[in-house]
Amino acid sequence: MTRASQPRLGLKTARRGINLTTSPLFLQRPALAAALDPTTISRAKLGDIDAFTAIVEAYHPRCMRFARAMLRNPDDAEDMVQETFVRLYRALPRYEERQRFESWLFQILGNCCRTANTASRRHDAHTVEDDDVLERVPSPDMPGTRFDDEWGDDVRRALAEVPDYNREIFLLHYIEGFAYDEIERMTGIKQSALKMRVKRASDMLRSRLAERYG
Amino acid sequence: MSDADHDPMLQRAIDELRQLPPLDRDAVRKVVGAAAAARLSPADEPVFVERAARGRSIRMWSAIGMAAAAAVVGFVVRGQWRTSDERTPVAASVAAAPAAPTATLQTAAPSELESKPILQQFVFDNARARRVSVVGDFNTWNPTSAVMRRSSNVGLWSVIIPISPGRHIYGFMVDDSVFTLDPRAPKVRDADLGTEGSVVIVGRP
Repeated sequence: MTRASQPRLGLKTARRGINLTTSPLFLQRPALAAALDPTTISRAKLGDIDAFTAIVEAYHPRCMRFARAMLRNPDDAEDMVQETFVRLYRALPRYEERQRFESWLFQILGNCCRTANTASRRHDAHTVEDDDVLERVPSPDMPGTRFDDEWGDDVRRALAEVPDYNREIFLLHYIEGFAYDEIERMTGIKQSALKMRVKRASDMLRSRLAERYG
Repeated sequence: MSDADHDPMLQRAIDELRQLPPLDRDAVRKVVGAAAAARLSPADEPVFVERAARGRSIRMWSAIGMAAAAAVVGFVVRGQWRTSDERTPVAASVAAAPAAPTATLQTAAPSELESKPILQQFVFDNARARRVSVVGDFNTWNPTSAVMRRSSNVGLWSVIIPISPGRHIYGFMVDDSVFTLDPRAPKVRDADLGTEGSVVIVGRP
């Protein structure tokens, strides 16, 4: 891989010695860091609405992508992302800037999604069969659903079958681009266990897709 | 080497999942509004106050706590603490409080501390307004006293002002001419003006 094709890493990331090159997939991902002014977070801590708006604008699409993939009911994604930013704003005065902001945000978002999934599971246990959750993912059989992208929907349906605890780590690593050591700090799970979870999620995703496209 | 390196299908699936949804500005506006409303009352959260002289932040509630402790120490030192008072055990626990603030704060009575202004944030959503200010009983309804600043992107106006603790009636003056209630706050009929106003409770109940 040429130097020009490598993503530009933030100076802070480089100083912390975070190894973002453990997987070649990492080098293919789009730039991780949102283009935020370095003072934005400091200003948001002091209650500056403009600064907080800039943070929301920078991270909202990524948070929506993560929440839609994580939640058993993707329709809840917008509510969960809103809840995440509300918690973040309330907790901003306690944020320590030596901690990576992005990790902190996804830690809060992960907690919100896990809580929502637990509540949804409890609710479904009393109302519908567990497999019915998969029916909520768009499919050609659902009337009124746009079905322009069959491959994309198949991928999302296959991912929805991956257990939550494996899916979360898979998403954090491959989709959001966090290195294993960073996910270890975020979740408290050892790197060896994280790698195993990602492998299991990958295997399951691959096997589900192979059933149709193999 | 990762799993996906040898598997084009998995690589393609990951590429698909990496596609970002477009930025939804309406959703951003809702998120910012909800977050600002959730932090409207600083009673539960410490507010950071910029200390101009030294350029660093202090926690307001910590400062109030230290001031209260210093005031108690002041009473003890001056022999004004009544041993018959039911709060006597407190004296032992505050004996180690920092001595420096006592020079300036030892005369501060608890009632004075309770009436110390608290920073309060007001947020108003109006993309078409040219000028918005907060008016209320705390600034004698003066539209030039607390002019709000507009967020350049989403049409939110905000201002942070110190207000004495208690219940206050307020509203927003849009373009210096239209009085508007805060849709996020409860409203009440204002006995002084005979009109409706929004209500904010500042400080701990």
